[in-house]
Amino acid sequence: MQNAKDTFYLALRNRLATVNPARTMTLRSVTRPGILVEDAEPFMPLPQLDAFTLCWSGLVADLHLPGILAQMSCEIRYTTAGTQPNAGLDRGRALEKMDDELLRLLYPYSEQKMNYTQTPAAAMGTLVFWSEPAFSPAAMDHDRLSRIATVTVFAFQEANEA
Amino acid sequence: MSTTTTLPPLPPIGRSVRAYFAPVDRVHKTPTLFDPSVNGRFSVNTPPAPWISLGWIENFARKSASKFGDLVTGTPGATQMQVRATVDATVAFRFKTWTKLSMALAAGSQHMNLLVPAAGGAANGSGSKGVPPVNLATGSTAAFLALSATDAATFSAGSLVTVDVDYASTTGFVGSGVYAAYVSSAAAVNSDPDYIRRVSFNVARVASVSTGSTPGLQLAQPLLAGVPAAGMRVQPLSGFVDREGGSFFQEWSALFVVDGQQGERILYHYPRLQSMAGPAEESSALAPPLERLALGASFRALPVTDANDGETVVCFRSFLPSPMTLI
Repeated sequence: MQNAKDTFYLALRNRLATVNPARTMTLRSVTRPGILVEDAEPFMPLPQLDAFTLCWSGLVADLHLPGILAQMSCEIRYTTAGTQPNAGLDRGRALEKMDDELLRLLYPYSEQKMNYTQTPAAAMGTLVFWSEPAFSPAAMDHDRLSRIATVTVFAFQEANEA
Repeated sequence: MSTTTTLPPLPPIGRSVRAYFAPVDRVHKTPTLFDPSVNGRFSVNTPPAPWISLGWIENFARKSASKFGDLVTGTPGATQMQVRATVDATVAFRFKTWTKLSMALAAGSQHMNLLVPAAGGAANGSGSKGVPPVNLATGSTAAFLALSATDAATFSAGSLVTVDVDYASTTGFVGSGVYAAYVSSAAAVNSDPDYIRRVSFNVARVASVSTGSTPGLQLAQPLLAGVPAAGMRVQPLSGFVDREGGSFFQEWSALFVVDGQQGERILYHYPRLQSMAGPAEESSALAPPLERLALGASFRALPVTDANDGETVVCFRSFLPSPMTLI
């Protein structure tokens, strides 16, 4: 199932580089597209502003199929405080911009499953696909505005796949 | 001395149902009989020949439709005895996966292969005239189709093929391995030499193509009819089509297996099943709007004669108890 998670993350990251090349973040001294996987980064006491954070949570597996169908819940969290020039008064607009970007990142709702543990990455036999996002209400915390979009990611487990 | 510790009978707790099917010899009206005393404990992943696993099914529901009559005598009338007026049963379930076999079983009527069309053919709902078939060379097996290098080069890895004989104006049941249709007259099928390949169950996916010293197609799955017979030819197909309607009834022998959690096993054997509904799908919600589409299937059980006592029956239910419980 890790291949499916990697594929989903890298699909969104690659799409973000096209949808909004300006949305970048500097993490561990590297500037890269503004999307990260929570369990692949050091613990952060505060959310990364103006970036998408993928948090993997639930897992359901349908074993009564020729290939196991895994359903993985992914919470995509994002927080913004608006921009400094506008003293944060544009945080509502900034959140709406991230909502729109996320919708564009998620479509189309599938991607060829890849094995990124080898170089070069190898295409696998099936496609990873996912549901449309379910958006939570925006949450206000002092000067920060946040939202969680939940997506269910599906992948068929292939033979000899870890 | 051999001893064992016993437990009182425990309720069977099943997890899911596995389905297996085998062809019925329609010409000689002979079903494939499953003997639970011989093969009852077979491994669910390797059924005994000629049974074909169709995997897990869901919403499995059996229904006895036998009717009983009563003989009433006396005043006031009281039932003195009963008679079995009719013997009838149905079974319904959903196939979780779509394959040639599961689609054909669920559809009930002729199930067709969509032959890769020849250029300029007239449009038709079940597919237009196919590209010409190619001949098999010597050395074919159930999983390897020997072809000339030129013919092999016309196929690609991953393509689908149907392998069967030319239709030669005969009437009756047609199709290798499994009778796939009944031809009432040559005119009904336009004397089309590709007709048998259009309905045949002898299909497979090509795993690799070789054009070297041993040219041919390595198949990813063995052909249902085994080693190709003389006269069989190969034609590419792109998919399958079934129809609401049609005069033909598929007939199959069926076996359903439920493994209990304490080692017991329940087997339901229907020697003759015919579909009693047209093609239909049933969906299960995954995460909106994603839905998993299953093939709905319902069948009527037809009778056979039990050789042990000559009784007419339509279904056998066998129970193999767990190793430790009293019976």
